[in-house]
Amino acid sequence: MGTIIETNNLRAYYITNAYGVERTVKAVDDITLRIQEGEVYGIAGESGCGKSTLLRVLLNAYDPPLTVVGGEVVYHLDGERVNAADMTEEQQRDLRWRTISYIPQGSMHVLNPVRRIRDSFHDFISAHRDVSKAESFALTANYLRDLGLPEKVLASYPHQLSGGMRQRVTIALATILWPKLIFADEPTTALDVVVQRGVIQMLKDVQQNEGSTLVLITHDIGVHANLADRIAILYAGKLVEEAATQTILESPRHPYTRFLIESLPSLDSREERLSIPGRPPALDRPPSGCRFHERCPLAKDICKTIEPALIEIAPKHFTACHVVEEELSHASAV
Amino acid sequence: MQLLKSYILPRVVQWAVVIFVGVTVTFLIPRFSPVNPVDEMIGRMTAFQTIDPQAVVAMRATMEDLYGLDGSLLEQYLAFWRRLIQFDLGPSFQNFPTPVNEFIAAGLPWTVGLLTTTTIISWLLGILVGSLVGYNQHKPWAQALERVVIVVYPTPYLIIALILIFIFAFYWPVFPMTGGAQGTPAFTWDYISSIFRFGFLPALSIIIGGFAFRFIMAKALSTSEVASDYVQYAELAAVPKRRIVISYVIRNTMLPHVNDLALSLGAMFEGALIVEVMFGYPGLGSKLFTAISNADYNIIMGIVLMSIVGIATGSLIVDLLYPVFDPRVRLR
Repeated sequence: MGTIIETNNLRAYYITNAYGVERTVKAVDDITLRIQEGEVYGIAGESGCGKSTLLRVLLNAYDPPLTVVGGEVVYHLDGERVNAADMTEEQQRDLRWRTISYIPQGSMHVLNPVRRIRDSFHDFISAHRDVSKAESFALTANYLRDLGLPEKVLASYPHQLSGGMRQRVTIALATILWPKLIFADEPTTALDVVVQRGVIQMLKDVQQNEGSTLVLITHDIGVHANLADRIAILYAGKLVEEAATQTILESPRHPYTRFLIESLPSLDSREERLSIPGRPPALDRPPSGCRFHERCPLAKDICKTIEPALIEIAPKHFTACHVVEEELSHASAV
Repeated sequence: MQLLKSYILPRVVQWAVVIFVGVTVTFLIPRFSPVNPVDEMIGRMTAFQTIDPQAVVAMRATMEDLYGLDGSLLEQYLAFWRRLIQFDLGPSFQNFPTPVNEFIAAGLPWTVGLLTTTTIISWLLGILVGSLVGYNQHKPWAQALERVVIVVYPTPYLIIALILIFIFAFYWPVFPMTGGAQGTPAFTWDYISSIFRFGFLPALSIIIGGFAFRFIMAKALSTSEVASDYVQYAELAAVPKRRIVISYVIRNTMLPHVNDLALSLGAMFEGALIVEVMFGYPGLGSKLFTAISNADYNIIMGIVLMSIVGIATGSLIVDLLYPVFDPRVRLR
């Protein structure tokens, strides 16, 4: 199992210039990650931490004001390294849906309201394969049956479907051509828990049937616990911790991750959960040093000035925190 | 059956009510006017000669009867409806006793021919080009085109028509200045080609104006469509652009366009007043213009009544077609 997509020191900023006032929002700042073929890679973080921006850049589908100012996104396609920035528009269009696909945030409105579901499927399939209408209808009907969706949705219009059904249809629409790499942005948000479960199961099925790679973005740690093999925690445009799901859930090291995990309700304990003090920083003027230092109870002087580097504190467990680093060096010194 | 009862029937009733109210108002307004057409007529006849007063009284009675102006308002109103149902619009005042029907029948084919073609052409062109510009709003050619249309749009009709007349009929006389056709009406190449030659400039001026209006409407509608989630998603999935423009952008903006088309076609019976007058085109518009300047009420009323029925029928058809264009319209 090799890497399928990697980023190296990726920086993507929103650069706007309104009435002579230039404003730069550092939504993705120096992120390096490697996503393995066939894994479910979860990206977690609070609202406004740059999750969706990162996804847009990984997908290579972004327009100004979002600009990649540094670093690179590299796809590994059939053993070849392809830099996303070097691809022509034609190459990108070829890649979409056949190799790389996307399940959008808020799937409620991504289906054309005046088109029957089967016609939308035909639009998306025929964009990448030379098929007749009858062939794409048959392909769609088969696929929906495999995923356990009722056949009658084919002839329906989007407004006739429930929210959960629409989300499932959208997942089917995104994965109909069996892409190798699927990006899902908050696929379960705005669904109630019962429907969420069905959608999670469906994502699992889709991913396992073809051994696709799934990059899953959500703020919902519960969904990550269900699906993800590895989790990356994003805070204020920075990668602060990355490890296997089990490790993140059981022994998180970064103070932010610890807050995040401790805030999850559990069945055993009934005590009140603490929320993280303070508010998320504004990304147009991020704090100096460690971006979490203003809210961190363990913060030291060094945290205010020097940015911590992402280091491997245990095999395949990375975190960026001066405090953790110090503890480790003490432990090894003793 | 349910469809007929709950969707079609209420709309047909509404259509009938609109026409009833329209006809009633059309009946009342001229009767509140201070000018009495019978007085006008008698005044004209006695202006240059003296007529026996008794003959004048007799003449007045005859004319009031003919024009439907005798009896109380209610009696007049009932008689008005009675004649209307028999498609009897009375005689023209100016060209007595030629029936109004004949006048309208003479102007109708010209107007219908001119306006049907120009409305449909400007409608199709406006939607297509406007939507393309809305979809490609960041491209330089789209922005240039939009600027041109924004200048043309508020330019009054008659200025466009005048410019066309100056250029193509005066300085460079490729098209005739006035009229509808040349020669005697017959199924000959000469006559039919002359219809196109005479109709070209009036048609062009209507198309320019109608196109600009529809272009701006289509551009505004498609701009918001382009920002919608489903268009963005189809773009991301690399669905061909032509498919996106037609099935995603235009298809979703069809409702207002269909509305506009039906109402424009319905309003056709008013004629294209300014254009027809400017080009001396023998359609309903120039008839209406002459009738207004001569206070020829029966002709005015005849044309207005047709227009009321036309617009009401146009909107009825749109209403009935809504579910075809948007599946979200419930058949209630």
